[in-house]
Amino acid sequence: MKKELKIKEKSTERTNPLARVFDDFISFCQSKSLFMLHYCTGCGAIELPPAMTSRFDMERLGIQPMVTPRQADILLITGYVSVKTLKRVILTYEQMQSPKYVIGICSCTVNGGMYWQSYATAKKLNEYLPVDVYIAGCMPRPEAVIEGLQRLKNNIKNDRKEQKGSAWKDYFRRYDYYLGNQQHLFGDDWQTPTDIIAEAKLYGLETEETYGKHTDQLLKIQKPLLPQEMKVRMKP
Amino acid sequence: MNKHKSIDEILKKVNDVKILHKRERRIRVDVAADSLTTVLELLKGQASFVHLSAISCVDWIDDGEFELVYHVWSYEENCLVSVHTRIDREKAKFVSVYDLYKPADFFERDIYEMYGVFFIGSPRMEKFILTEWHGIPPMLKDFDSESYVQNTFNWTEYNPDWLQELEQQGGGIAIKPEEIRLSGELHNMSTHRERDKKKKQDNVKGWKS
Repeated sequence: MKKELKIKEKSTERTNPLARVFDDFISFCQSKSLFMLHYCTGCGAIELPPAMTSRFDMERLGIQPMVTPRQADILLITGYVSVKTLKRVILTYEQMQSPKYVIGICSCTVNGGMYWQSYATAKKLNEYLPVDVYIAGCMPRPEAVIEGLQRLKNNIKNDRKEQKGSAWKDYFRRYDYYLGNQQHLFGDDWQTPTDIIAEAKLYGLETEETYGKHTDQLLKIQKPLLPQEMKVRMKP
Repeated sequence: MNKHKSIDEILKKVNDVKILHKRERRIRVDVAADSLTTVLELLKGQASFVHLSAISCVDWIDDGEFELVYHVWSYEENCLVSVHTRIDREKAKFVSVYDLYKPADFFERDIYEMYGVFFIGSPRMEKFILTEWHGIPPMLKDFDSESYVQNTFNWTEYNPDWLQELEQQGGGIAIKPEEIRLSGELHNMSTHRERDKKKKQDNVKGWKS
């Protein structure tokens, strides 16, 4: 399904021979300290407390729960994503700062799981967000969760060689595809507060597939977000 | 039984009421749609049924009717009365009981969203939970959830290496998910039980046989 991209990205080739060493060092450091925002939508969340606490101890991998999306590296989605929730998940994801990673836990995020017949749940999470790792199972045991996190860590660490740990870049590179799927569910007037195209320009991740008919539609309806009026009610 | 005789006496005044004592604490009352509010008013005012637990709706598509069921509970009698009534499916309009029972607001809004029954006089007849939904009310029997899902969503292909190996050795998954999901004639069969029967007849391959 993935086409080869005609990327007119800024070239990432480094001329300095030491640059690769630094790149590797940075990705090594990134893989050792990950803050995780868990968006517990379904029953899979019940496996997280044992995975986090003393029995399986996620923190020995350097992974810690975090309370806000802006400070988190991993977005962990546990269980079915209803269409209504998906909106919130996308808003949360777009608030996170790059580099950011998405993990889908349970079969529901892969294929709808036992809710495949339901009109209300979205089926493939990676149509709407770039997913790094899927942990299948209904529900996966904490061992499987730890295994999946370990795999994500390795992907991040060996990103320069294997190119597996940078799915978040795909969101900017093929924004039109993701936006098209989102519009298919939410209607043509779907707009998020984050300006993804401007961010793609900022990161230098603009490609031909960033733009398309769906982004044209977005630009047509997009309203600038104004700050809310401050009102102070004074008692006379 | 003697405990609830009073209810029979109270509801005698209303026309066309059938009262069925199902169990000691469960009473079923069938009324015509016109006299439903009267029955509820009598139950609340004269027999202490002050708690409206739920309003439920049943779609009888073959009869062309909706069945509305009002479950009311009395803390003094310790008894649940379910008042059944039927309304026309085409019109799908009924009178609200909000002025009698305040929680009815919540239940009526839910039924309006899921079945499209409009309650006249209910304070907030608007979207409730399905704010992202624009189709027909999804709980109606007309609405085919499977075909909607099939037309709206894509599926992840599942064909891992270990499964291919098993298939080469003559094993594999007995019923593949693609076959369960809407495969032509199977979908036309009304019940899952029939489908399963058909599956068992057709199933030649697979580890079960």
